[in-house]
Order: sequence, then C-alpha cells, then structure tokens
Amino acid sequence: MKKYQKIVALLLIVAIGFSACTKDIPVDEDGLLITSRAECFVSNFELLGADFITVRSKAAVIDTTAQTVNVEVLFGTDLKNVYPQFSLASDCKLDPKITAKTDLSDLANPKVYTVVSGNRQVRKPYTLIIKYQ
Amino acid sequence: MRKLTINHLPLLFFATMLLLASCKKEEYKIPDPVSDLSSDALKRTLGPNIVTQTIEFAYAMAIPKEKGKLVSAEVEATIAGGTGTFLQNNSYFTNSSGQDVPVLVGDPSVNKDNRTSVTFNVDTNAATLRYFYVIPEEARGKSVSFIFSATSSNGQKVTYNLGPYSISKMDIKRNIAVSNNTNSYISIEDMAVYNATSAAANAGKIDLVYLYRTSPGAFIHGLVSPAADPIYLPGVILPAGVNRSTKVRREFGVQDRNLANLQFGIYVDDLDFQQIKLTDAPNYAVGLKAESSAWVETADGKYRAYIYINSVSTASGGSAVISILRYAL
Repeated sequence: MKKYQKIVALLLIVAIGFSACTKDIPVDEDGLLITSRAECFVSNFELLGADFITVRSKAAVIDTTAQTVNVEVLFGTDLKNVYPQFSLASDCKLDPKITAKTDLSDLANPKVYTVVSGNRQVRKPYTLIIKYQ
Repeated sequence: MRKLTINHLPLLFFATMLLLASCKKEEYKIPDPVSDLSSDALKRTLGPNIVTQTIEFAYAMAIPKEKGKLVSAEVEATIAGGTGTFLQNNSYFTNSSGQDVPVLVGDPSVNKDNRTSVTFNVDTNAATLRYFYVIPEEARGKSVSFIFSATSSNGQKVTYNLGPYSISKMDIKRNIAVSNNTNSYISIEDMAVYNATSAAANAGKIDLVYLYRTSPGAFIHGLVSPAADPIYLPGVILPAGVNRSTKVRREFGVQDRNLANLQFGIYVDDLDFQQIKLTDAPNYAVGLKAESSAWVETADGKYRAYIYINSVSTASGGSAVISILRYAL
C-alpha cells in the first residue's frame, strides 16, 4: 500500500513540476497580449459628436510620416464633447486611452496620441490637428 | 451479502416516495367555467402619462346567460379625470377584416365626482367598454389608481383594480410653427413662439432663436440661444433684453413617439430629464433636420426640455414645425 502511495506522490510532484515550467503568456500592464509585431501606425480616424453622428466634413488625412491626423469638422461642431476613434495597426494600442467624451476644443494646442506597437517596443506620437469647415 | 442496516431505511423510504410521486398521473381538469359575473381590465396606452393626455383602458365583463344580464359598469379613479373623461357606451367585436366594430350597448356615460358610469340599455350578458381618462392638472407628479366595477341583473357586483400609475411632471405642446426672421423666438417657460415685438415684451423668457441659413452648408436649421457666439446668429438683431444662454445638445437618436405624432417607438420620460447632464453642452445647435431633436436646459435652471423637429421647409426663407416636452426642475 505504501508503495502505491509513493508512486502517486511522485506523479503529483512531476505534474506540478511540468505545470510550473509552462511558459507564461506575455501580457502588458493592461492585460493585453504582447506580440512580436513592430508595425505602429494609425490606419483610420473617426470623430463622433455627442449625438454619436460623425462631425467630419470629409475623410481624415493621416500622414504616417509626419505622424499627424488632420480632420476638418462641420461648422458648429461642439468640440468639447466629441468621441475620437482611432483604428490602429494589428496589436497596437493607444496612449492615452480614450474612454469617454473628450474635449478637443483647444485648437491652438492639438492633442497628441501615442501609438504603441504590438511588441510594445515602438512608440509613435500622432498629433491630432482639427480645423473647422 | 450485507444486511440492510438502520442507516439505509430513510434512503429507501425516500426513494420509494420519489418513485410514487413520479408515477402519479396528473388528471386533466376541465377549467371551471365562469359561473358568476366576472370582469377583466387592461391598460391600452403605452408611454408616460402626461397631463392633458388620455389613458385608455378596456374593461370586459360577462355573466352566464342563464344568470342574468349586465346592468351597469363604472370606473372610479383616485383623482377625478379631466374634462373629456368618459366610459364608452359601445362594445366592440372584431370583423373578418380585423377591424373593431362598435355596437351600442348603453347610455352615454355620466361623470360624477371621480366616478364614470354607463347604464346598459340592451339585453346583453357580455361587453367590453373602453375608458378614456383625461389626466387632470391635479394629478401631476402623483399616482392614480382605478377601480372598475360591473353589476348584473341578479344583484351581483364585481370589481377589478388597476394601478397605481405614475403621472408625469412633463408638459407637452405639439406642432408649433417657427419661421426664420419672423416667429423665431422660442420660450421654454411659455412653451410658445414669439416674433421680435412680442419677444421684446417677454425678453426674460426667450431661450432660443430659430434660424435657417444656407451658408455655411452645415448650418441649415438651427436653435441658437441669444447669448451664443454671433457666428451662430448671422444677420440676427436681437430684440432688447433678449440675452439668455441656454444649454442645447443636438440629438439624432431619439424621436419621441408622443411628439412625432405616433411614429417611432421611443418615449421620452421624466427619468430622461432627471438624468441628462447638460452642464457642458454648448448654447447652440445647428445642422438640425426633420426628425432630429435637441435637449435644452434653460439659463435659470428652471426647466429642461426636449424639442422635436416635426418638419422643416426651405420655402419662404425657411421654417419648421417643432414640438416640445418640458420638465420643471
């Protein structure tokens, strides 16, 4: 009987040892998966008003070299209450995060959003430039 | 073989009971037919109960033919209904086309205090009467309950209770015509539109100016507060004293059914006005179209309102038809 108990205990130790050796999945401070991708750019941009309707007068111009997003908004747009939406390259994230309505009314001091690559090694700041129609 | 011990006996007993219970056949019982005078009622109106509006109910009553016939029907409200409250003296049947066809069954209803009654004048033992309760001013912000009752020729009486129903604090005003440069000054407090002369006489009550502009192209129809940046009031010379700064937020996703003449399936209710935050809203809304709307909060913080644009026209310099729901804070 003791012999069987020893075998079971041994198997248990080996199993625990194996599980302890499993490689951890790398995640960042937000719990997002860190991948091997180094691509880091803004692919699309949308700007919604407080009524969740677009306030753009035409498509946003994204310059990945100058790292700018140029948006022209409709006359009368309330830029104190808008929802910017960035589309990013795969696995990228945005810093600072956009979690609620944003005040973009200070046109003289455009906001800067940094795109962070999937491998979290590349950071590219994009300046959001807004002008009225 | 192990002997049955005392410990096994409860388990065996329980298993036997379970078996017996599971084997018991449920006999079908014929539902008890209505053997006495009986009644049922339902509320047909949906949405918030707004003062001056009507709440409609359907009250059904029946008695077996051999027991007698219907004599009268009555509704008692905890708060007497407004002018126009009545219990319809028609019963209805649905024809082959799906239409409700009225059949006269009684004398016109009589209102006395908070009771409305109909006396049947035909020999009938089943009827469904509709009750239209006009919400009176006294009921604003309170609750109203209803007791429906019917009597039959054999002396029986039956009652059915409905409610309580909360009565909204909102005011409603539909189909107000506004026009560019003419009747363009809107007062939320008065729920009315003024021209420049009348606006000057009511300067402290003017919250918004209706404008129609073709340039810039995004302007079109606008509701702009008098204190807004002059770029949103192009060509407007405000009457003396008209200077309030009203919070306005344009809204495209909400079309209130009451204001939209029973289109759409959304109702703006008291709770919407209680919860909406307009502190950071601008004092203008431009780019308005038919079926769009605007949330408004007056400068003195006395009222919040929801303005629905029923229709717009570019003819004769621009005009619109608006409807207002107002909530006193």
